[in-house]
Amino acid sequence: MAQETWNDYKQKKHSRPLPLKGIRVLEVCTLILGPVGPGYAAAMGAEVIKCEIPPNGDTCRDMTPFGYLFRGYGPVFVHNNVNKYWIGLDLHKTEGQEVFRELAAKSDVIEENLRPGVMESWNVGYRQIKEINPGIIYISKNGFGQWGQYAEENRPSNDGASQAFSGYAWMSSFSDQQPLKSRIYICDDYGGLMGELAVLAALHYRERTGKGQYIELSQSENIMRAMSWVWPYQQITGKGAMPAGNRDVSICPADTFCCADDTFVAIAAPALEEFRGLCTAMGKPELAEDPRFKDHLTRLKEENATAILQIIAAWVRTKKPEEVEALAEQYAFAASRVYTVKDVMEDRHFQERGFITEIDDPVIGQYYDYEFPVMMSRTSPRVKWSVRPVGLDNEYVMVHHLGKSKDEIERLYESGALGKWGDVPGRRPPSGWDGKAGVILARDGEEKE
Amino acid sequence: MEMEQPWSDWVRERDDPRIVNTRPEALDDITVLDLSNKSYAGCYCSSLLAEFGAEVLRVEPPEGDFLRTCTPYGMLYKGEGLNYLTEGRNKFHITLDLAKPEGREILKGLVTQADVLIETYRPGVMDEWGCGYEQLRKINPRLIFASISTYGQFGPMSRSRMPDYDNVAQARSGIQSGTGEVMPEGKGYEDCPWAIPTKSGPWIAWSVAGTFMAVDILAALHWRGMTGEGQALDVATTEAYARFDDYPPVWYQGSGVVAGRFGSLDVAGWLYCFAPTKDGAVFLGGLRLQMWQAFADMLGKWDEWGAENWTNLTVFTEEEQQLKWAPLVFEETRKYTNEELVAMSIEYAKKGRLAPITPVVAPVCSPEEAMKDANWADRGMFTPVQDPVYGELIVAQAQHKMTESPVRTKWVCRPVGYDNEHIYLKYLGWGPSKLKELKRKGII
Repeated sequence: MAQETWNDYKQKKHSRPLPLKGIRVLEVCTLILGPVGPGYAAAMGAEVIKCEIPPNGDTCRDMTPFGYLFRGYGPVFVHNNVNKYWIGLDLHKTEGQEVFRELAAKSDVIEENLRPGVMESWNVGYRQIKEINPGIIYISKNGFGQWGQYAEENRPSNDGASQAFSGYAWMSSFSDQQPLKSRIYICDDYGGLMGELAVLAALHYRERTGKGQYIELSQSENIMRAMSWVWPYQQITGKGAMPAGNRDVSICPADTFCCADDTFVAIAAPALEEFRGLCTAMGKPELAEDPRFKDHLTRLKEENATAILQIIAAWVRTKKPEEVEALAEQYAFAASRVYTVKDVMEDRHFQERGFITEIDDPVIGQYYDYEFPVMMSRTSPRVKWSVRPVGLDNEYVMVHHLGKSKDEIERLYESGALGKWGDVPGRRPPSGWDGKAGVILARDGEEKE
Repeated sequence: MEMEQPWSDWVRERDDPRIVNTRPEALDDITVLDLSNKSYAGCYCSSLLAEFGAEVLRVEPPEGDFLRTCTPYGMLYKGEGLNYLTEGRNKFHITLDLAKPEGREILKGLVTQADVLIETYRPGVMDEWGCGYEQLRKINPRLIFASISTYGQFGPMSRSRMPDYDNVAQARSGIQSGTGEVMPEGKGYEDCPWAIPTKSGPWIAWSVAGTFMAVDILAALHWRGMTGEGQALDVATTEAYARFDDYPPVWYQGSGVVAGRFGSLDVAGWLYCFAPTKDGAVFLGGLRLQMWQAFADMLGKWDEWGAENWTNLTVFTEEEQQLKWAPLVFEETRKYTNEELVAMSIEYAKKGRLAPITPVVAPVCSPEEAMKDANWADRGMFTPVQDPVYGELIVAQAQHKMTESPVRTKWVCRPVGYDNEHIYLKYLGWGPSKLKELKRKGII
């Protein structure tokens, strides 16, 4: 049955409609927390117009792993800015603000991640925009929200600060070791996702009532929301929650173990039948009857958990990771090698689902990246195109959305309200660009060949 | 007039969590059936919808969901596991044995009245029960059928017999392999069992999967509003979390480099690391050249480090540069306490040579410190919920703030089957005698 629903999903997804068709989003965002949310919306079919201050635009454009640019752009930037339209609009300039307000009057959503009050100082804050578009859904995302001590001190913030402030990094380390920063920008990525949830809920509310609203999201608060037991535990016990390395203190057994070849495998087998399966796989079925391990709550107790995890660790140390995975499949408990990015990219399962997806981009060329990770049977979200040089879509947006004449557009360029890329890595087109690829409408106002 | 009021005051007057109960709820026209089984992802997903006012019917087997026993160190509070306690919020808890054919017929009576169904069984189980998407759409074509599993509903691994757990999904995502301390030279696993691939402590793969699903349920509702069509949604916990691995896929295919561990430095950013201090550690951030210069200046190293002549931040991101500069930075930060460094950065924003540009300096807090921080308390993160069953309880809430239809936590949880009477009467018209009979048969 599921086969019927999902048959040829990868092949068919590009010929299906998109769920957020008809929703227009204006983005004034930089780095990751801001842009990822509109990126998700764009993968679901919203029309996202990304406004950058020319000539440098988004700071993320040249954010690079060890100095490496992918065809001229930072890989983080490429990953998070799909399916967008790109305008270079200087909001410091009155004329730029006016263009923004014209676009805002025709938009459903505005997303920004500047410090509190900056958008208002540019005459494009929520209070100003709702006067021309009362139905607007306007979201601000940052470190500390719009009010409270830290916001009022105007502190800058970013993902690492939130990992630090929230206790998330502290809870993600080994006890007696230094707190550890996650390699991913978890508070950015997750903040952006939760922001989009609020935007879509607000959209639902608007569809029912016609009313728009303002939303604020603090990425520190948001990651705290995902830390579950930590808060009631501290309240009830009066003690601080403690980190436990790779061990999951709420599920037993669940940990990462070192294999015979010094690689690692994660295992979880808490439910009775799963635990029995693991014990049988280890050749020790009697452990499932041991009073220390007889049920989950008993097994979770510190001394019992330590005992069973030591037994499993000693067993795994004699095994290859693929042997553990095969036994998990046979005995129906959970196990996986600790995958690298290479393993994920080359995994046949992820490829056949289209999670590893191919983008054939006119500007930066063909490449693979991770697909938007929700498959929808009727309206399939997907990555269609990649990033653009600053301001590449100026003409398209000015003509198609605002009906500006050639003269009006020229005046906007002369005032500096409109602009394009500077000759700087991450901003300019990739080397070898022919001046046409990816251009929807050329600057001289004529359709390109 | 309106513009005369300071922005922060204006917003606070309208979105302070203290006034949420005077505001309408965004999703109070939506009914959700949550059949989550052994899955925090599913429960978290339905919590996010329930916080917006959706009527969530949380369906558990008569003995309760196994997730109720997944609690730190086996600790129970008033009979409840702590993780479940935080994600029972605003839901009606009913029991129904789906393993029995009669239970599944009862489910169908609820499905015809629901907008959304969330399920986390192994792919194929719902089909075998006659309750898969293709079967249920026949009785409710508007149904949004949301499935969360380790590997998703299709693809070679979808038929795996393995259950879905957060730590295994974190391992499969590729992210754990790139997080952790670097093994010191000449040492091995037995010497330093902490210098290995390290997962995040919280159930983040489950939370992320549940949130992606909640986002897409709302997108599917939008589509249904336009067309009347329901559909099936498929989230794999492994993929949902992997999507957050921002740069490694593109970096790997472009250069062949497999992103590895780099401790609490950052492969893709400088200045962007944890740094030791006199009394702990701070996060330091300066992803623009001027912020890195401001940091050097703040420490009195402007001349010695030659900050004036720096022209390009990208070169500092290179591995050998990071390994050269990090010890120099740490030598300085060790001279100060966390509080001193934070104060220096705030002061620099006012009076520094590059003001208002200043580096990001944030103390690395324990969750105990975070919960005592007056800033978050003031913003309503930890306001205790007055729960009719469990009493006064602190859970994280108010993760976003909205002026018209904000989230709220009305109650934190309910015991197994607590709402059977109310919900079965409301949806199926069954009074006490019918419920008694079903209970006797072990169906509810």
